[in-house]
Amino acid sequence: MAAPVLELHGITKRFPGVLANDDVSFDLRPGEVHALLGENGAGKSTLMNILYGLYRPDAGEIRLRGAPIELGSTRAAIEHGIGMVHQHFMLIPVMTVAENVVLASEPRQAGVFLDYDAAVRRVRELSERYGLLVDPTALVRNISVGQQQRVEIVKALYRGADVLILDEPTAVLTPQEARELFEVVRSLKSRGTSIVFISHKLNEVLEVADRITVLRRGRVVGTIPAAGATEEGLARLMVGRDVLLRVDKLPARPQAPLLRVEGLRVEDDRGLEAVRGVSFEVRAGEIVAIAGVDANGQSELVEAIAGLRTPTAGRVEIDGVDTTRDSPRRKLDAGLGHIPEDRHLRGLVLPFSLAENLSLQEYRHRPVSRFGFLSLRRIAARAERLLREFDVRGGGADTPAGALSGGNQQKVVIAREVDARPKVLVAAQPTRGLDVGAIEFVHRRLVEQRDAGRAVLLVSLELEEVRSLADRILVIYEGRIAGEFGPDATETELGLAMTGGTSGAEAA
Amino acid sequence: MTEWAQRLENPLSARLRDPATSGYAGIVLGVLAAFLGIPPVQARSVTWQVVVGVVAVVFGIWTVTRGRRRLGYGAAAAGLLGIGLGILATRSSVDNLNSVFNAALIAQTFAFATPLVFGAIAGIFSERSGVVNIGLEGMMLMGAFWGVYGADKGGNWSVGILVGAAVGGVMALVYAYFAIHLRSDQIVGGTAVNFLALGVTGYFFFQLYHGNYVPNGVSTIPNVRIPGVADSHFLGPAIGNLNLMIWAGFVAVVATWFLLFKTPIGLRIRACGEHPRAADTVGINVYAVRYGCVVLSGVLAAIGGVYLSDGFGGGTFTDNMTEGRGFIALAAMIFGNWRPAGAFGAALLFGFSSAVALRLQVYSPSASTLFNVLPYVLTLIAVAGVIGRTVAPAADGKPYRKQ
Repeated sequence: MAAPVLELHGITKRFPGVLANDDVSFDLRPGEVHALLGENGAGKSTLMNILYGLYRPDAGEIRLRGAPIELGSTRAAIEHGIGMVHQHFMLIPVMTVAENVVLASEPRQAGVFLDYDAAVRRVRELSERYGLLVDPTALVRNISVGQQQRVEIVKALYRGADVLILDEPTAVLTPQEARELFEVVRSLKSRGTSIVFISHKLNEVLEVADRITVLRRGRVVGTIPAAGATEEGLARLMVGRDVLLRVDKLPARPQAPLLRVEGLRVEDDRGLEAVRGVSFEVRAGEIVAIAGVDANGQSELVEAIAGLRTPTAGRVEIDGVDTTRDSPRRKLDAGLGHIPEDRHLRGLVLPFSLAENLSLQEYRHRPVSRFGFLSLRRIAARAERLLREFDVRGGGADTPAGALSGGNQQKVVIAREVDARPKVLVAAQPTRGLDVGAIEFVHRRLVEQRDAGRAVLLVSLELEEVRSLADRILVIYEGRIAGEFGPDATETELGLAMTGGTSGAEAA
Repeated sequence: MTEWAQRLENPLSARLRDPATSGYAGIVLGVLAAFLGIPPVQARSVTWQVVVGVVAVVFGIWTVTRGRRRLGYGAAAAGLLGIGLGILATRSSVDNLNSVFNAALIAQTFAFATPLVFGAIAGIFSERSGVVNIGLEGMMLMGAFWGVYGADKGGNWSVGILVGAAVGGVMALVYAYFAIHLRSDQIVGGTAVNFLALGVTGYFFFQLYHGNYVPNGVSTIPNVRIPGVADSHFLGPAIGNLNLMIWAGFVAVVATWFLLFKTPIGLRIRACGEHPRAADTVGINVYAVRYGCVVLSGVLAAIGGVYLSDGFGGGTFTDNMTEGRGFIALAAMIFGNWRPAGAFGAALLFGFSSAVALRLQVYSPSASTLFNVLPYVLTLIAVAGVIGRTVAPAADGKPYRKQ
């Protein structure tokens, strides 16, 4: 076994009130993909920010090829050959790919001028050598997210990185782009680059990693070879208990339709038609999923159903009542529950307390308010009941919503929407950015709602989620329903329809 | 593919079919219609003005029907305005026209534009690095006073420029500390700079010059007489004898463009203004870049001020001498979309309308105040009608906090 290229020994990092890393040790061998697995808040990003010189550890030692090094700044990390691809890309949209890549270590002409042609050449060279297809002269804002990520990788390689940190690299990618990324990772590995792959997704860690280190609450709970590891085993290490990865549910017993959408047409913010004549219905007691690649009209469809966007044509009926042009409040009164795709923008008022957030719908009904006055006592009591019921951790009724982790924030949104006892529950990407434990919780709740006789419309970009939860799957492509599938459809079938290949069985 | 690549692939024919082309052609024709009435063409019948103006309007309407509505309406308006101004010119006496529109108007345009050129360039440096500099006005005013003081006490105009620039730089350094380190609100901070400058210059003007006048004979920034050109019939009064700082302003525009868009330093400056965290993660010291740019901004604005008092003003100073020129410079910068060439063009437009406004007094001295709003009316028309939305650097005005 080759000597490790990079070792972290006993790294400890404290933030006010939190022990983010507690005596963490980690090593990376040359040409290895070492996954760092853990839930949100387990300390993965903190550890990598220490490695990239953004934070200083309170204790511990970093060794590069056996020699201890001091990483006081990102510049030092870059000089030691450590490159990082951040989860939120560090790219400048109005500049070209080449400009982004060479920033701060520019090729020069006559010592003073930026040699842009040389920059373009270098980027082209690197992109060909590693199979990272990017156009050096394109503006970053005009290229896809997958391409932007490749630019980030080229950027690290340009700086001579032989240790590459990928921070949640697939979080923003479509399944196809993720597959391409794995190819790139393998090609980098075969050329001797060592890679730290940070993720909370079990399947991709198993697919791409050689070894896996699991972090839980800032501590290493184990480092195991990927060969022979199972998703169940990893999930147990990550969460500290057994996790139900496959959703346990009985066959659906659908009743009368509660949500009916007919010939719906919706325009997006730019005035372009995003939803082009969509029709479907969701019956009581079933989960219907809308699957598709991001930005194929899902957001506009959900907003039209929720009353946040007025459709240009078509009908939306809730339990037989035409609500096409109703305001969001009238939709709520008609029996709609909405878990919005962006919980920060639409789901919660972050500076408000949990009690206030939980009362955003009920505030005008008894017993929360009477004769136009809020009863703070009843609001608090109700909030405490819901927080208990929905197992919200990290704060009480008085805690501002912004202080909670993503998973717990989502629990608050779900608690509010479910407690209003809607007939139709629309859940738009309800598990985005959540970790395994929280995902399990959300899934269980959605199935519960189905079994309680509600019509559940799930909009998701995650194929696995769609397949495990839905009773029927509708694939949306460029604003049209490209096909309807049963829950047993394969990923290939769905993937094909999602990219406009062939349609599946005839729509019902 | 990018928009540019597409344009390059099918060059001329596509360029001609592009609605933008007909729109810009309409605007040019509208300007031409107005131009026909004044010297040197000076058509005395209205025919040509109307014909050209109508063509401009047609181009404008055509552009509107092909989707570029804002540009099309702008062209149509330019056409109508051109007809109006062209007709107006034919109603005026030839004497008056000749005294307003002559070669010296060009020189005067440059003279009025130069403080704005320096101010706009100053603003570009600061804002491209991510710091809004509404304190340009104050920095310019400080340059105006301390420049003339330096020239007076140092006995030479070059001392004046050095002293003015240094004071502007120090002023900017103070502002930079508040804006960058203390992360205070940049609009409030900049406004404070303006009031501070007004107070400081007013106080010292009173203390040092008893608040009324700077003695005669202060060494002023010289004009540059170009041999050969200076005696020419048209070019002589236009550019043969311009002030040194006017030429320096031209150089500053070109140098700024080079620095910002052709050198690594420029790339880093722009990176700090667009996405400071991205700049930070590749090892750029965002704070250092911003400090440097804000101080440079103060120096440049102050040099514009020195020109105002010791060049344009001929070695004088008056209370609040800049009279809002710092703000106009800021408008020129925005108008020019944070680019040196664009800002230069905008500054020339403002300078031109100021110069014309001054000369229009031959028609009606009592209405001269009214003529002075011309630059601002032009700004409104141009910004609303033609330019549309300009895009500021993404992180402009947002203090950066290291992780």
